Amino acid sequence: MLKTEFPALLAGGAAVLLMAVGLIGCGGGSGSGTPEPGDGTETVTPVSPAHSGEPGVSDDRILFGQSAAFEGPAAELGTNMRLGIRAAFAEANRAGGVHGRQIELVSFNDSYEPDAAIANTTRLINEDRVFALIGAVGTPTSRSATPIAREFGVPYIAPFTGAEFLRDDEWPNIVNVRASYYQETEEMVARLISDLGITRIGVMYQDDSYGRAGYRGVRQALERRNMSPVSVGLYPRNTLAVKTALLDLQKGSPEAVIQIGAYQPVAELILWARQTGMDAVFLNVSFVGSNALANELGPNGEGVYVTQVVPFPSDRSVPVVSKYMDALAAFEPSAVPGFVSLEGYLAGRLVVASLEKCGRDVRRSCMTEELANVGEFDIDGFKLKYGVGDNQGSDRVFLTVIGSDSRYHPIESLGDSVP
Amino acid sequence: MNSILSVLRNRRFRISTLAYLGIGGAVALTLGATLVGWFSFDRVGDVQSKVNDGSVPEMAASFGVAQFVGNLVAAAPRLASAATPEEFDRVSSEITRSYLLFEQELTSLEERTQQPIEHIRDSGDTLLANLEELEDGKAEYFELDQILSQLKADLAGVRTRLGDTLLPAIDDQLFYTLTGYRGLGAAPDPRAVYLSESEFSQYRYLSELQADANIATELLSNAFIVTDPNAIEPLRERFEAALGRVERNLVSLEGTQFHADIAPQFAQISELGLGGYGEFNVVERQLRLRVREQELLTSNRDIALQLVADVDVLVTTAEASAGAATDEASQAIFTARWLLLVIGGLSVVGALLIAWLFIGRILLSRIEKLSNWMRRMADGDLEARVEIGGQDEVADMAAALEVFRRHALEVQRLNLVEKLAEDLQEKNVELERVLVDLNRAQDQIVASQKLAALGELTAGVAHEIKNPLNFVKNFSEASEDLIEELSEVLSESGPTLSAEDQDLVKEISEDLAGNFERIRTHGARANRIVEDMLRMNRETGDRQSTDINLLVDEYAQLAFHSARANDTDFQLEIKQDLDSSIGIIDVIPQDLGRVFLNLVGNSCHATDEKRLEVGGDYAPTVWIKTARKEDVVEIRIRDNGPGIPDDMLDKIFNPFVTTKPTGKGTGLGLSICSDIVREHGGHIEVTSEPGEFTEMLVTLPLVAPALEQTEPPPEIQGLTAPA
Repeated sequence: MLKTEFPALLAGGAAVLLMAVGLIGCGGGSGSGTPEPGDGTETVTPVSPAHSGEPGVSDDRILFGQSAAFEGPAAELGTNMRLGIRAAFAEANRAGGVHGRQIELVSFNDSYEPDAAIANTTRLINEDRVFALIGAVGTPTSRSATPIAREFGVPYIAPFTGAEFLRDDEWPNIVNVRASYYQETEEMVARLISDLGITRIGVMYQDDSYGRAGYRGVRQALERRNMSPVSVGLYPRNTLAVKTALLDLQKGSPEAVIQIGAYQPVAELILWARQTGMDAVFLNVSFVGSNALANELGPNGEGVYVTQVVPFPSDRSVPVVSKYMDALAAFEPSAVPGFVSLEGYLAGRLVVASLEKCGRDVRRSCMTEELANVGEFDIDGFKLKYGVGDNQGSDRVFLTVIGSDSRYHPIESLGDSVP
Repeated sequence: MNSILSVLRNRRFRISTLAYLGIGGAVALTLGATLVGWFSFDRVGDVQSKVNDGSVPEMAASFGVAQFVGNLVAAAPRLASAATPEEFDRVSSEITRSYLLFEQELTSLEERTQQPIEHIRDSGDTLLANLEELEDGKAEYFELDQILSQLKADLAGVRTRLGDTLLPAIDDQLFYTLTGYRGLGAAPDPRAVYLSESEFSQYRYLSELQADANIATELLSNAFIVTDPNAIEPLRERFEAALGRVERNLVSLEGTQFHADIAPQFAQISELGLGGYGEFNVVERQLRLRVREQELLTSNRDIALQLVADVDVLVTTAEASAGAATDEASQAIFTARWLLLVIGGLSVVGALLIAWLFIGRILLSRIEKLSNWMRRMADGDLEARVEIGGQDEVADMAAALEVFRRHALEVQRLNLVEKLAEDLQEKNVELERVLVDLNRAQDQIVASQKLAALGELTAGVAHEIKNPLNFVKNFSEASEDLIEELSEVLSESGPTLSAEDQDLVKEISEDLAGNFERIRTHGARANRIVEDMLRMNRETGDRQSTDINLLVDEYAQLAFHSARANDTDFQLEIKQDLDSSIGIIDVIPQDLGRVFLNLVGNSCHATDEKRLEVGGDYAPTVWIKTARKEDVVEIRIRDNGPGIPDDMLDKIFNPFVTTKPTGKGTGLGLSICSDIVREHGGHIEVTSEPGEFTEMLVTLPLVAPALEQTEPPPEIQGLTAPA
């Protein structure tokens, strides 16, 4: 008894010492208590991954997310894109949904600012747990959001931009609907030369990734014809400081000016050009925001061309447009058909079509990688073709011009006369 | 050695004395061992309590101090790296707690140790002071952090607003200077106006404002990421220079709308940079706090190292004193162990000596001697005298044994006489029994001889009667012939006689003929009886292995059929219950067959008699049953005939005794049966109830004894015809 007691005490002492050493060693490590990702306020009930483990997919619904501009200069683009997508979703949901599931859309405003786009995208993926992202507006915002989407393997469907980098192989999760800026600018250059015989072409662009993408498109189209821009003007994003650009453009005496910009600065420049007696044909890419541009220009808009990537939105002779007009009237009777909401509608229809092909057990991968195998979607005559290395559905560019009535008119060639 | 042994042997102590001496020695040794153990444990206990009361608490307190020093030291970097005020508060409260515990342990150590620990207390106080300063600094740091994030947001806002104002202004000024157009819808100004020196200067001021605005905001942005507090001053200096240029340019633009728009924004930039809580001051203060924090951390680390070293000394010293106490205890245990070993050795040697000398040489050898004597006495040798020397208990036992031996000798003699008397008594009883047997045997022999004599007599009588019977027969036949002849003669010479005479003669001759007929018939009968009597030499065959069941059945059927042959009205049902386990036994089948024939025949006769007498519903029945009982076979033949009167039962096996009517049986059948069965080593018993049944039980041994040769069968015995 006495013999065992003493070593036991020694062992106890050693345990105390070990404990002390352990505390010195471990003391620094314990808890800053960083919050788990996914904490925070929620505006939309996240879809619990009840079905097939795929985020955003439950037994009775599939949730899509959108980060776009609903405020600021590009607000009209985001608003109309959302309108079109919702009209298409509502149309499908009225018919019972896709494989028994209702399709829903949750949208957040990013005011066309990359920082906000990043925050919204992260939130949509991690908190709202959307199945896919759809209908983003703008090149710089998409450029910021796509790496996040790629990191989480989330499909990035139908961004409202024609920037070339989104059509690159390195983005397996992007699905484009529309033709690229390169295709629009190529069409412009080709038409200017063939329809109007114009060779002195100037470029006015917004000093950001969108503007530069369009500028590169024009340059390449001209270079293919051994030509170059006669003059170039650029303006800072989100300002109306376009007069310096106008002065720069005037130096080359261009017969035509291809504009890659937002509708307000573009309109400002056209107005000042008209004011200062500059006699040039102005051409804009689809992203400009056609209706807003026409409104801004008023009577001075006559003869301004805008290339479109979708058919003319009130031309009922085109089946898909007819469907679109019905869907829009059913979803929001007061809405006026427009290019952007038609593009949104087409994006929505693409989603519905591909979900139908994917079947009930839907996976994100089905929306992206396997799209290449699916090949072609025929959305009421509007064909979208995909394949290996080709994530862009439509290559078509449509020409429109503002008439004396301040309305757009579809034309076959640049010289066509309109009311 | 031998001399010692002889002395010991001759001392002749009492065994009890010796045993008490041995036990006393053992007790003395045990007491010695106990005392040694007690003293040793007492010493170890002293040392132990010294360790318990002194060294161990001192060590525990030292360890406690070490532990809380560790906690305090570890807390400092955590405090410094706390990212949020909440985390900071948590660490801070942990520190307070740890310090209180540290204080407690230190006080408790102070009470227990002689070692100087003042310097440990001093170091601990310094450590705490440092930690408190760290806490204060950190609190201020967090406040500054909040101010800085507000500054950052303000800077972003003012930057955007500046851009929105300055960029279009420069754009407009350039356009106006080059074109003369002020606004849309208005005609351009004359060249002298829009190309005046003041317009150019205005463009210059605007450009410079834009450049300095960029510089100032960039400097402010840069200040956020500076890590060296000394780098702040050059930034501040350049910021002031840029603001100075801005002020000059703004003065030149005084009075314009633009000035009114832009001046407040620059004032805000100035406040953001140079105000009391402007960015430069705040950042610098924060950086200096950080430097001080590093200094405190370094100081803490040094103090901690010193503390750990000091506590280490405490622990080492406590361990050393505990170690010394342990050595002392070990020494005490060692000594006690050796003492116990020696006592143990002494005990073993003492025990061996007692075993060898006392028990072996003195006690056991003598007890063995005594035991040998006892064994010899038990074996009956009471002659040898018991002689063992000494004066102890063994010697007493030997003396007692000697007395016992003498008594035993006396008793032995008395027993002999008694035994002879008993033997005599037994012999007498045996003799009486033999006498009874002899008498019985004698009776049997007499009975046998009587029977034999009767047999001889019968044979002789029969032989003698045979001849007269022949005469009777022959002469009666001859007389019949003569009567016939007389009848013929009478018929020839009939007419000579009167009809009356003729009728008389005829009547007389017919009567004679009838008489002779009777004489012949009864003579023949007498002859048959005699022949039966003379058929004395029964054929006795050899023993054969025979199935008794088969034999019984065969002769029962034979008996039935012969009865049936004599009387067509004869009725009998034979019920058989034969035990197949009897198997085969060695018998003389012809003889035994006769027995069964006779017995069944008797039954046939008896039942037929009853049938004729009773008639009606009576069903004559014979039951034949065989069974094996241990080493014998039983054959029961039972009928429901009239039975045998009690007075006849004893006699029926005697010759010439019969229940049949005169002329029906000779009374020899059952006698012969009895003889045959006895020859086979078995016997016949009879049971009967008059009016109800008769049962004959034949018992045969499975293994037959050799045939009895002593008594040849009587010659006269013959076989009665079956009834």
